[in-house]
Amino acid sequence: MGRAQYTIRRIIQAVPVLIGVATITYFLMEAMPGDPVSIMLGPSPSASQAAAIRAKYGLDQPVWVRLLNYIVDAAQLDLGRSLYYKVPVTQKIAERLPVTLLLLASSFGFAIVTAIPLGIISAKRRNKPTDHVSRVVALLGVSTPSFWIGLMLIIIFSYRLNVLPATNLVLPWAPVASVEGATSRIDVLVKTARHLLLPTLSLGTLQMAALTRIERSSMLEVLGEEYVKLARAYGVKETTILRKHAFRNAQLPLITLLGLQLTSAIGGAVLTETVFSINGMGRLIITAINNQDFALVVGTTLVFGLVFVIGVIITDLSYAFIDPRVSYDEAE
Amino acid sequence: MATTTKTDDREGAADAQFDDAVDEELEANVGWRYTVTQVRRDPTALGGLAIISVAMIVAVIAFVDGTLFEYLAQYAVFANLGIEQYAIAKAVWVSPLAETGSPILRPPMGITNELYPNEPGTFAHPLGTDHRGRDVLVRLFYGTRIAMTVGVVSTGIALLVGMLVGSVAGYYGGLLDDALMRGVETLYAIPFLVLVIVFMVAFGRNLIFAMIGVGIANIPTFARLIRSRVLSVREEEYVEAARAAGVRDRNIIMRHVIPNSFAPVLVQATLQIGVSILIVAGLSFLGYGAQPPTPSWGQMLSNSRDYMLPNPWFSIWPGLAILVTVVGFNLLGDGLRDALDPRINN
Repeated sequence: MGRAQYTIRRIIQAVPVLIGVATITYFLMEAMPGDPVSIMLGPSPSASQAAAIRAKYGLDQPVWVRLLNYIVDAAQLDLGRSLYYKVPVTQKIAERLPVTLLLLASSFGFAIVTAIPLGIISAKRRNKPTDHVSRVVALLGVSTPSFWIGLMLIIIFSYRLNVLPATNLVLPWAPVASVEGATSRIDVLVKTARHLLLPTLSLGTLQMAALTRIERSSMLEVLGEEYVKLARAYGVKETTILRKHAFRNAQLPLITLLGLQLTSAIGGAVLTETVFSINGMGRLIITAINNQDFALVVGTTLVFGLVFVIGVIITDLSYAFIDPRVSYDEAE
Repeated sequence: MATTTKTDDREGAADAQFDDAVDEELEANVGWRYTVTQVRRDPTALGGLAIISVAMIVAVIAFVDGTLFEYLAQYAVFANLGIEQYAIAKAVWVSPLAETGSPILRPPMGITNELYPNEPGTFAHPLGTDHRGRDVLVRLFYGTRIAMTVGVVSTGIALLVGMLVGSVAGYYGGLLDDALMRGVETLYAIPFLVLVIVFMVAFGRNLIFAMIGVGIANIPTFARLIRSRVLSVREEEYVEAARAAGVRDRNIIMRHVIPNSFAPVLVQATLQIGVSILIVAGLSFLGYGAQPPTPSWGQMLSNSRDYMLPNPWFSIWPGLAILVTVVGFNLLGDGLRDALDPRINN
């Protein structure tokens, strides 16, 4: 099976998962106490007003009919209208999703760039001081709540040292004129980087720690393999062994974990966005839930599901790219 | 596997004989006694165990103290009331526990002192007071109770359901496997925090549903793990040998497949308690955990956000409490993994 064919099959397999996500969220929202219509119209709406709203949003039909309609609409990229913001859900998501993706990308970038060297050094100098330090860092990283790291960073860098901003994230694609004190695109990007630093550390630490742990154990395993021993016996230099023989093979578990970490990272993004007052998908869904904004909650969750599914498909594809022994038939 | 009554005895004997042989081998290599010895020798596991024990003791003391205080406080108010008055008083009863703390846990620390909010540490309040003048240490103690309960109960739920789903899917395979695992995948595709919050808003914004919600959100972890273990154990030579010796399917699962799948599950469960504590702290931080005035670590952190400038310690202590507790579970989990998987040791 070729790469294209495999990709298509994976995308088709993802469809039931997404339908499942929509269904679960839909029924949970349905079970919510309280009536979205009364939230919209205030405590005592008139009967005709309420009926009109119900008809407009299709709330007068049984739940399974609405769910089916929703899925059909969603397949055509129509996720309904937000009751709270009074705009199409897709518009709201298009506004917020890039922000969250930016945060996720910078966190994962930070995690990968720090975790791989840390893990390799740790494995290379097993049971030496460097290894101990890196293991302790990794242990603390997986045990610390990300939002608490955020709070601590704000206390230290924003309040005490006053060197980095804690709120008002500047988006890299914001028009130059709208950003205070910026005269060119580069100014804007510098501002973005300064603003992103603390949220990235806050969200990325957990990923970094988890990846370091897996990188270390995976490197240790590969370095104990017969072919590495053989290479050593032939007198191949250690650095060459690391670079040519061990590194690539040790990355498979790391990639698996990366894909799986996406879902916990999205959960972490909800918290990080709250701590740093970033208007991304995380804060959007919390606002939506608090206002019982049915369509917005289901739509946002569906997009989270989509991000996760795409992440997993990319993971599986990169398997075969990194390790030629994995064929598309086996990788499932 | 088809069995008839005639061959049952012979199979039973084969079962017993084979089990004895395997048991001896297990005893020598990966039996419980071996595990305990390994854990005892491992400083990381012991460190984790020590931290968890302290947290457990604090949680139990806070629980007993809270219950006792609740009883005494109710007794003081209700003792002289008639039945009707009692019913009314009981219905509107608000526990003073969370507001004032109990006299046992904080005799010298005084009651809520609105006059001294945001105090740094003093002799009377070792970790200072919060924005309402409540003792931070006492609230941390009570928070332990909630964190430990939620961590253990939600992991228990996830473990039981996950084990059922995973072993059924792994053992029977085919369509059932496909259906179950797609379901699990779906659950996994929704971010934990979002799933639990929506679940709690739907069914109830309290600790019970927080535990159930976190439990459900963690089912995929165990279901996948157990399924993959069942799949690989099913192909092991000793299972094949057992099958060849005529051991029945049910016995193979109960005596060989499940026990041999259990080591990684135990490790995962230990680690998962830590993860659950982190998730619940996040939930409470967003306002979806224990409702105030009941103290929980996440909620204390959430309260502290408005006072970070005058009183940074108020933000530091609850986070450290979470950190230390979760480190405990991670250390024990790592230690157990090393002890249960002898291959890693060499």
